Amino acid sequence: MDRSRVSMLRELQELEFALVELNLYLDTHPDDDKALSTFNNLATHLAKAKKNYEARYGPLINFGHSGPVSSWNWIEDPWPWEIEY
Amino acid sequence: MTEQDYTTVENSADALSHYPGIPRLRLATAYIPPQVFRDMFPLSEALNKGTLFPELYRPYRRYPMKGEV
Repeated sequence: MDRSRVSMLRELQELEFALVELNLYLDTHPDDDKALSTFNNLATHLAKAKKNYEARYGPLINFGHSGPVSSWNWIEDPWPWEIEY
Repeated sequence: MTEQDYTTVENSADALSHYPGIPRLRLATAYIPPQVFRDMFPLSEALNKGTLFPELYRPYRRYPMKGEV
């Protein structure tokens, strides 16, 4: 699998991990404005990164996230367990 | 209503004879200092380390196994 695809997936994982961390922090510190604005920045960043990824490589999840598809590309290779990081 | 008397001299004999409702000694109290958000690891580092927050990073030290040099 090409390098840029792997690095885009890795970036998505990094962003999602950071967002979960901030999510948990904000659960106990809901009034921390700095954490909240960092969370919002990263969430925007993640949305863009997902869009970029999907434009090049196809859908990340099967429904409810990407727009309508003209052809059924959900079943295209590689499957998650076939990806070599 | 009068203040409960917590000033009684504390010693182990008193502690052992503590009964609920008899306010002689304070029971142990645990404290957890709250986390304060300051810095973040770079995101790639955070994913490797398992935490985004430098103040929470506490890796286990690897001790040599028995027989290992």
